[in-house]
Amino acid sequence: MNNMPAIIVLAPLLGAFFSGLAAWIQKPLSYYIALAATAVSSVAAVGVFKQVLTAGTWQYRMAGWAPPMGIELRIDLLNAMVLVLVSGIAFVNLVASVKNVDQEIPDRASSFYVMYQLFVVGLLGVTATGDLFNLYVLIEITSLTSYTMIALGDKDRSPLAALNYIFIGVIGASFYLLGVGYLYITTGSLNMADVAILLKDIQGSTAVLTAFILCILGVWIKMALFPLHVWLPNAYAYAPVGFARVVAPLMTKVMVYVMVRLMVTVFGLEYIFNTLNLADIVVWLGVIAILAGAFMALLQTDLKKMLTYIIVCEIGYMVGGAWLGNSLGMAGAILHILNDALMTFALFLAVGNIIYMRQQVAFSNLQGLFGAMPWTMAGFVLAGLSIIGVPPTCGFFSKWYLVLGAFEAGAYHFAAALIISSLVCAVLFFKVFEICFFEPMAESHGHHGTAAMAEAPVSMLAALGLVSAAIIGAGVYAGTIVNTVILPFLH
Amino acid sequence: MKFLGLVIVCLTGGLLLYGTMDLPDWGDPASPASTHLSDYYIEHIVEETQVPNLVTAVLADYRGYDTMFETAVVFCAGLACFLLLRDFRPGKNRYYRHIPTGVMLHFKNPETRMIPGNEFEHMDKDWVPSDIIIKTVCRILIPFIQIYALYVVAHGDFSPGGGFQGGVIFGSSLILMAISYNLKTLLKRVTEKFLSIFAATGVLIYVGLGVLAVIMGGQFLDYGMLAPLVPWDPGHVRALGMLGVEIGVGIAVMAVMVIIYVNIVSEGRHDEGL
Repeated sequence: MNNMPAIIVLAPLLGAFFSGLAAWIQKPLSYYIALAATAVSSVAAVGVFKQVLTAGTWQYRMAGWAPPMGIELRIDLLNAMVLVLVSGIAFVNLVASVKNVDQEIPDRASSFYVMYQLFVVGLLGVTATGDLFNLYVLIEITSLTSYTMIALGDKDRSPLAALNYIFIGVIGASFYLLGVGYLYITTGSLNMADVAILLKDIQGSTAVLTAFILCILGVWIKMALFPLHVWLPNAYAYAPVGFARVVAPLMTKVMVYVMVRLMVTVFGLEYIFNTLNLADIVVWLGVIAILAGAFMALLQTDLKKMLTYIIVCEIGYMVGGAWLGNSLGMAGAILHILNDALMTFALFLAVGNIIYMRQQVAFSNLQGLFGAMPWTMAGFVLAGLSIIGVPPTCGFFSKWYLVLGAFEAGAYHFAAALIISSLVCAVLFFKVFEICFFEPMAESHGHHGTAAMAEAPVSMLAALGLVSAAIIGAGVYAGTIVNTVILPFLH
Repeated sequence: MKFLGLVIVCLTGGLLLYGTMDLPDWGDPASPASTHLSDYYIEHIVEETQVPNLVTAVLADYRGYDTMFETAVVFCAGLACFLLLRDFRPGKNRYYRHIPTGVMLHFKNPETRMIPGNEFEHMDKDWVPSDIIIKTVCRILIPFIQIYALYVVAHGDFSPGGGFQGGVIFGSSLILMAISYNLKTLLKRVTEKFLSIFAATGVLIYVGLGVLAVIMGGQFLDYGMLAPLVPWDPGHVRALGMLGVEIGVGIAVMAVMVIIYVNIVSEGRHDEGL
């Protein structure tokens, strides 16, 4: 009970090693261990979230040492929410992906589950920790595992995509580490809360400014903010489906979380918006990212590629929103971490189902999908509408807060970019819907127009249904989430 | 593109230099890094953990959570090499060596295969007999290297050393065996299964000691909680916990070094290799 914050991270870590050992006893065992480990982690995350809602920030001291000496997990409302999100998605994806993994990498399945759990450990650890260097170590684990998993995907193209990702990812992580180094020299501490207190006295220092720029740049590279995004589309598009579905919704979102954490907890909003006054430039960067992502998505002819460019566009929303400099914008950005993870996850689940049945998702392969896979397409349409921002779905509400924040900050260009990108997304998704609905199946099928149902297995559909329900739920309760979780965190 | 790269490198370098303007002097005893936490560590470590080597105490106890994940990173690297390189496809041509005489048999039909045993062993076309001098020298050296590795692991708390270094030394002794004989000789002694199990077990020892502390009612990795389990001086338990953790690290690092070497030199085919 006392150790729940540690259990969130430890369950998949222990699970990974037991999966690795179980692979030598019986292959399928490693999958069930992974399933159990992520389930335990999700339950613990929900427990911690409940506790944090009622009792406030939960500080867990590793090895019992008091914070600046030892490492602490500091779980407040923001990371409690992200922890639930990450562990939940990791679990649901595992349920949905077992068949994809068996189809794509049958001989490496058990090693895949070991790697998968280590990746989840990295994400959860990054989210839970209250220590700057510990954050780096866990970023290292997420990165190493994701390089490997991406290289496992498409035989011809994924090794090169993974190589590009390694080069850029290593640069991003090194920038962050250099920034932490500068912070350590100037403050002598690695604990986030401690550093925040010490930084208050040395705000004018050039070393602190350098540390700030390096940390933020590193995180931007890792989250693929527009000019730094080049690695992302290929890496995510060519990864094996079972992994793409978890890396695409979570990796960038966790990095956005890290950015918010650095801004709010470590450097302080006061330092960023009053002392440095960089906000205008970064909001412009966000605007460019939104527009560039949206228009590059228009050029794609492959569904997976198109979705990866939409991720680039969504990163622009979150970075721009966080840097608007008011609590509405920041709330919108944080809410969008949750919503975008759900929407992207639903889209990639649907894509995974289609790939399972049809092997490819180039636009030319999508004809007749509404007839053949009605349930999958229902989930896909719902997630698509959410990305566009149609009201009952959650995508609308985060955009609503972002637009309100933009008006309050007087950043009309940001509001305009939001609306333009929503229109572009509408064009994009209706283009896909049109292909899937109106264009008939290939002639080889005897019946004209009505294709035979060839739906994905139940486990995959159940996962998609669950996430679709979550999209609606997050939309309906958006106000509650903002008022009970996000705004109390910001004040 | 090259020009752009140059500009970016210069800008980054400029930024780093700009940042150094406000840094405290090199080695300044009054700088925050030497006063804020270091004083605490220097004054309290020996009394709190009974480990004379401050570096080990900080790494394995105060920041043991970090070190645990560093070990997990090492494990990840080994697993990554296995996942990406290991080649399970059987080769087209098969070669077998008659061990007593050294005569080689070549099977062109992929269907025919022999079960290697004491008489015949499976081998590769490009195998070269290794040199008798190198073999003999390495044979003498390897046991001493291994004992030295154990010494380095065991002395982690008291002198420079510890699990990572000891593991690397032990792993290199095994790699030396693969270089001086061939990969098959090594893999006959330490099989792939053995290595994978050791890699996972090593990190499990680390995490397991932490979990044991949780079961005993403490925080994760709080070795002091293990006191009722060991019959010795309770004050010394933290040091023993660190030793246990170092042994786990050593095992994991040793196994992962060999996994990486074996998979890279034979391109995942696990044949004779280099």
